[in-house]
Amino acid sequence: MTLWFVFALMTAAAIFAVLWPLGRPAAARTGSDLAVYRDQLDEIARDRSAGLIGDAEAEAARVEVSRRLIAAADAAQAAEPAPQSSPLWRRRLTAVVGLVLLPVGATAIYMLLGSPQLPGAPLAPRLKEAAHGNESITSLVSQVEARLERNPQDGRGWEVLAPVYMRLGRFDDAVKAWRKVIALSGETAVRQADLGEALVGANNGIVTADAKSAFERALKLDPQQVKSRFFVGVAAQQDGKREQAAEIWRGMLKDAPTGAPWVATVRHALASLDEPATAPSAEAASDNAAAPGPSAQDIAAAGRMTPEERGKMIRGMVARLADKLKQDGSDVDGWLRLVRAYMVLGERDKANAAAADARRALAGDADKVRRIDELAKGLGLAG
Amino acid sequence: MIPELGHYALVLALGLALIQSVAPVVGARRNDATLMQLANSTAVVQFIFVAISFAALTACYVRSDFSVATVYENSHSMMPLIYKFTSVWGNHEGSMLLWVLILAVFGAAVAAFGVNLPATLKALVLAVQSWIASAFYLFILFTSNPFLRLANPPFEGRDLNPILQDPGLAIHPPLLYLGYVGFSIAFSFAIAALIEGRIDAAWARWVRPWTLAAWMFLTAGIAMGSYWAYYTLGWGGFWFWDPVENASLMPWLAGTALLHSAVVMEKRNALKIWTILLAILAFSLSLIGTFLVRSGVLTSVHAFATDPTRGVFILAILLLFIGGGLTLFAWRAPMLKQGGLFAPISREGALVLNNLFLTTACATVFVGTLYPLALEALTGAKISVGGPFFNLTFVPLFVPLMFAMPFGPLLAWKRGDILGVAQRLTLAFAAAVVAICVTFAAMGVKSALAPLGVGLAFFVMAGAVVDICERSGLFRVPFKAALRRGFGLPRSAFGTATAHFGLGVTLLGIVFATTWGSERIVSLKPAQTVSISGYDLTFDGLVPRDGPNFRELAAKFTVREGGVPIGIMQPSKRSFPTRSMTTTEAALMTRGPSQLYLSLGDAEGDGSIAIRLYYKPLVMLTWLGAVIMALGGALSLSDRRLRVGAPKPAAKPAMQPAE
Amino acid sequence: MTRKQRRLVLIGVSLSVLGVAVALVLSALRDSIVFFNSPTDIVEKHVAPGTRIRLGGLVEDGSVRRGDNLRVSFKVTDGKTDIPVIYQGIVPDLFREGQGVVAEGIVEPGGTIKADTVLAKHDERYMPKEVVEALKKSGRWKEGNQDFAGDKK
Repeated sequence: MTLWFVFALMTAAAIFAVLWPLGRPAAARTGSDLAVYRDQLDEIARDRSAGLIGDAEAEAARVEVSRRLIAAADAAQAAEPAPQSSPLWRRRLTAVVGLVLLPVGATAIYMLLGSPQLPGAPLAPRLKEAAHGNESITSLVSQVEARLERNPQDGRGWEVLAPVYMRLGRFDDAVKAWRKVIALSGETAVRQADLGEALVGANNGIVTADAKSAFERALKLDPQQVKSRFFVGVAAQQDGKREQAAEIWRGMLKDAPTGAPWVATVRHALASLDEPATAPSAEAASDNAAAPGPSAQDIAAAGRMTPEERGKMIRGMVARLADKLKQDGSDVDGWLRLVRAYMVLGERDKANAAAADARRALAGDADKVRRIDELAKGLGLAG
Repeated sequence: MIPELGHYALVLALGLALIQSVAPVVGARRNDATLMQLANSTAVVQFIFVAISFAALTACYVRSDFSVATVYENSHSMMPLIYKFTSVWGNHEGSMLLWVLILAVFGAAVAAFGVNLPATLKALVLAVQSWIASAFYLFILFTSNPFLRLANPPFEGRDLNPILQDPGLAIHPPLLYLGYVGFSIAFSFAIAALIEGRIDAAWARWVRPWTLAAWMFLTAGIAMGSYWAYYTLGWGGFWFWDPVENASLMPWLAGTALLHSAVVMEKRNALKIWTILLAILAFSLSLIGTFLVRSGVLTSVHAFATDPTRGVFILAILLLFIGGGLTLFAWRAPMLKQGGLFAPISREGALVLNNLFLTTACATVFVGTLYPLALEALTGAKISVGGPFFNLTFVPLFVPLMFAMPFGPLLAWKRGDILGVAQRLTLAFAAAVVAICVTFAAMGVKSALAPLGVGLAFFVMAGAVVDICERSGLFRVPFKAALRRGFGLPRSAFGTATAHFGLGVTLLGIVFATTWGSERIVSLKPAQTVSISGYDLTFDGLVPRDGPNFRELAAKFTVREGGVPIGIMQPSKRSFPTRSMTTTEAALMTRGPSQLYLSLGDAEGDGSIAIRLYYKPLVMLTWLGAVIMALGGALSLSDRRLRVGAPKPAAKPAMQPAE
Repeated sequence: MTRKQRRLVLIGVSLSVLGVAVALVLSALRDSIVFFNSPTDIVEKHVAPGTRIRLGGLVEDGSVRRGDNLRVSFKVTDGKTDIPVIYQGIVPDLFREGQGVVAEGIVEPGGTIKADTVLAKHDERYMPKEVVEALKKSGRWKEGNQDFAGDKK
């Protein structure tokens, strides 16, 4: 409604610009060329008295300008009389144009092109609104953070905070928090598993070597830890070891207590293994990764991202990784991660190219090249 | 709401422009004062609406309103604030809005400050101005609308083209457009004069301030663009004879010619038809400049908007205004009366010569720029016309022009004495000869032409100084008297001398930087050192950094002169993930008027990096000269005489509302 | 001088300046212009060695080899034919395999182009016009998907 009100005000201003001059008497005086010539004469006189031009020169110029002045004065007299005010009918016609045609025409064109129904959408309030659901959490988080800053040895505080970070999609913070918890309050299978999950989240669903070792430690503490078993399977799948992944997951289903909530997820993951040769899409991968246990939605809830946005974000991170490796190709884990990431994104060609690049960059180190080769073989890439 | 306000304001501006296109013309034909003065208020209010529209678009960019399609396509929420402002015109739609904003500014300025103009002339000028404005409003609204919306706004934009994320974008396009669009006023005056069928010496004086202002902005804009290209493109050149650069050079040449021929017209009532033609040509070339950039018909490094469909619309605009203007000229010009007589050797003669060379040079640039297009259209063969062509054609035409330049202002009107002038220029000749000898002695005979170029530059600069000395009578009359006379000189005399001096400075910079610059392209490992022209640069290593919307790999170099560290240079490569583009940021170190220029190539696997290193002696003079030229223009513009005819406030304390 | 003589002087000077300009333009056009060719053009037209040309197309995947002293060699392809190019210097930022490129230089006897300028102008909005046309001809060009249909009001 405000919009239309402002439109009306603007239209009124435009109409006013047309109507106002109609109501005013014609300006009595306007400029003319006589003034210019008079000034030129003054100028010649000035130049002469300053000694800038000679007498003869000045005189000739004076005559010439005077002639122009006289001609202009004659022309002004011979010409039509000074401009008159408009006759009434012409003023009325103009007023009609201003009052009717202008607003009607402007509205018509605007309705054709404009989108009055769409409100403006500056980013800051939108982000705030998007975060609104989390607002109370956010303020809570900052309170806890403030307390932990004063007292960083409080393991319980970190343990409260870490899952919240996961929920908010702040995976890097979650990783740090879980590490603190483990350091301060000791290691448990669940804590290690949660750390691993945070690491997976921070790497966009890819089970890195770090994450895998966290899950493996958890399994050492509790061989039945569900989340860790699932992710170790995911790791095997991402490494191209499909049989191994299938074996792990089948084992989980066998051990599953009746009515366990994660059974469906594991089944789904198992089914995705059977799709021949094609790697699971990014979405499926992160859904799989996110599926087990009560924290199933957590990773998927990474912010409030649509699948496309998430895909885009992952692609951005992969591109960054590729850039980094181009600068410094000695990081074998980086290369492994990149090849896997491309497979997860379903970009087989790029995975192939990355493996080739990796072999070139690591050419000096037979051991590292072998690791690349193993991975490539496992993923069914051309060796 | 804000984007829609901007959109509607633009529509209202179109409505007012259409009224302003018709009413004042009727008023002028019927001698109807009311309709004529209607143009004043519509011009001002039109400007207000375009300003609202522009402000609204700017607000959308600053607040990252991605519901506006152009904002989504050209902005990024993480961009530094200044680029959020500049990305408003860093794309086709926004730059056209800037174009009409400036057009409206000039229109409103004529309405507000043109109090000294005869009513009919002013009304017609404002009407013609509105024809142009209407065409461009229609163009923007129907083919390049910056206010189109997205129903589901994304959360992040696609970022501004990284090449344009540079402070240069903040200054270059607005200055250039002030120049281009400023010539529209000269065009409108010319068309108005042709419609009226009356033109005289006073006309030239009324047009002069507008032409001067446009010329000044265009000069500064071209220089700024050249400097931007120099540091951003990474290979140390400052003029590429790129079609887009030529597009801005052509109106400058025509505008410079116009500036000079208008002087003849004002003083001697001669060259009237020619001046009118130049006014039409200068703006036509500005339109063509806009067209070349906008339609992307030419291959060019610049092209930040490429869309042939819009080209058709612009082609129609071009045909309408250039074709229409020239047709009107062909029809009405023969009816104009010819003016004063003059001998070939005279101030007028010198200015004619100036015009002859400027327009011919402009024509060669025109041919070189458009020949590939014509050839392709006719035969299908694709060619590129580059630096060599222009060096062979443009330069030989510009050299005699510059040689003749010091003579012009010293010649008398009507009939001059060339020998006397040559005599008075003895000092300038001497300066040139000394400069040539010194250059030969210092630089050797590497290039025979370059010392001559240096000599020419000194001749031009000294000539400008001699001009002022002669006028003030320095060395002829007692010093005090000369000083008094010097202060009494009209500012436009100082303006002329300053602008001419500036051109000499530019020439000096160009000759030095192109002839005696050195260049090294090498691959360096950390701790290795490369030397150039007495400077040693040591590669300290690579430093990765994070910017707001890019990541950057900078290479750190310590610069030493004679073993003493004098500073650090950090050229870098930036990668912008949103557009997956990389840009090279050259590092510059200014040493007096000279510069060291360093840009990066690719980093190689073994930790070494390829670099391009230049030493550019006196290169800063190239742009400094242009700045001096623009200052000269400003000096002339401040001359009281250009405001003649304006009512003196003391004479009549009239309650003249500023319409 | 009479009015007529003055006019003659003016016309004479103008014509001579114009004449010089035309002569300059014509000679420059003969000597300093460069023709643009696609790889297929070069093969089909049998461009003679020693000719200066501009070659436009895509950098063929996997063809870029870097040597010592900033030497780079690569192949430019239009999908049908490819032409080897050698260049010494720093290639531009946007030079990548699979992207549009324009190389300017001399045709060597073996059909290789020895380039002194390499321009790569890839940006999703901008590609050298010549390259686009060369690719369209060989059927490798797809119109960009820049519209966001449905979304745009």
